[in-house]
Amino acid sequence: MIAKKVLLVGNFGVGKTSLIRRFVLNEFSEDYISTIGVRVSKKVVEYQNETIKLMIWDVAGTNGDEKIPKAYFLGAHAAMFVFDVSREETYLNIDQNLQMVKDLSGLEKITIVGNKKDLLSKEELETVVKEVSIGIDLITSAKEGSNVEDAFMKLTAQTLK
Amino acid sequence: MKKTPADNTKDNRFELLRELLLAEDREKFDTLSQEIILREKFAKRVSPLVDEKILDLREKFPEYFGDTITETIKVQIRDSQDEVVEALYPIMGKLVKKAIISEITKLTESVNKTVKEKFSIQEILKRFFKGKKNDADVVLQEVFEPIIEEVFIIEKESGLLSGSYSRGNIADKDMVSGMLTAIKSFAEDAFSKEGQDLEDIKFETFQLSIQNFKSIYIAIACSGVLNATFKEDLADRINNLAEIILRDRSYLSDEERLNEVIFQLLIEA
Repeated sequence: MIAKKVLLVGNFGVGKTSLIRRFVLNEFSEDYISTIGVRVSKKVVEYQNETIKLMIWDVAGTNGDEKIPKAYFLGAHAAMFVFDVSREETYLNIDQNLQMVKDLSGLEKITIVGNKKDLLSKEELETVVKEVSIGIDLITSAKEGSNVEDAFMKLTAQTLK
Repeated sequence: MKKTPADNTKDNRFELLRELLLAEDREKFDTLSQEIILREKFAKRVSPLVDEKILDLREKFPEYFGDTITETIKVQIRDSQDEVVEALYPIMGKLVKKAIISEITKLTESVNKTVKEKFSIQEILKRFFKGKKNDADVVLQEVFEPIIEEVFIIEKESGLLSGSYSRGNIADKDMVSGMLTAIKSFAEDAFSKEGQDLEDIKFETFQLSIQNFKSIYIAIACSGVLNATFKEDLADRINNLAEIILRDRSYLSDEERLNEVIFQLLIEA
């Protein structure tokens, strides 16, 4: 079985932990995130006839206000940047935040996911997609379980590139 | 029998024919002979000079090439620092440890000698100093025998588990490895100065010892009282294990094989 380290990054309250909770059952207490700024979860997935053990590092807020140890980003095989489609401040500086994650992790491609689509109408969602300065890979809803599996499969595919 | 004019004519013709056919070959033969003779003459003259030069080169090699070789080695080490560090780290660690143990042994011997020389009631003092210490050690070892509970070999940056040993059932080892790496990074980031690593985490009856190497770290959880002898022995065995793994990186991608080596070197031994 191949083991891969993947990162979930994004501002506070965008729903990273909810996405993981939807996808993973096996997890440590959430207290770790507020204590040391990260929590590790595990999920074994099947992708293209390959069994992959994903070690998911849920990294607390990466908007530059919090001091997160750089070492959390090292050795990652893929990363997902999550923003909240209903909160402009979570995607306003997406370019800078992405660059920071790229610099710290050394990754070239990062999966971009807009979460909480259940909070917006179809028209509002289209406006947000136009507003965001970079290409969004998937729009999800952790609450409804919409596109969550697909988002993590996209992330898994990234680990193999 | 006398040759007839006809016979003479035949001989002449044959001679003429031979001249015509072999003239070119003879010329080549002569040229080659000359060349060989010349070479032999030349070799006889040059040989002593070459021998002399070889001898000179052998004697003055450091003088002629010393600087170039030193510079080449310097460049090689500078460009491959990681490889050099990884190769030397386990060996240097052991050497330093051996040197320290040797010095402490010398010091102990010296103290013992002084005690023997200075005090007249030798046996009583010996019993007082040595005997008391031994008694305590024996009791501690019997009651709180040190036991290796868990072993984790973890990739330093990613926190991915490469191999492990567990005496009982613990939470998911992969997640423990990940969180341990996160906690270690957090502690190092928060408290340590640059380049320093977290080495020990202590619980009430549990101790987690971490030995850091260039690309991996080995975490060992022990229960009981860890006396100096046990710690030294364990550190030696960890260094040996690291040496084996770092010399043959295929262990890091073969969990089953790595687990066998962990068991052989740390648990069985």
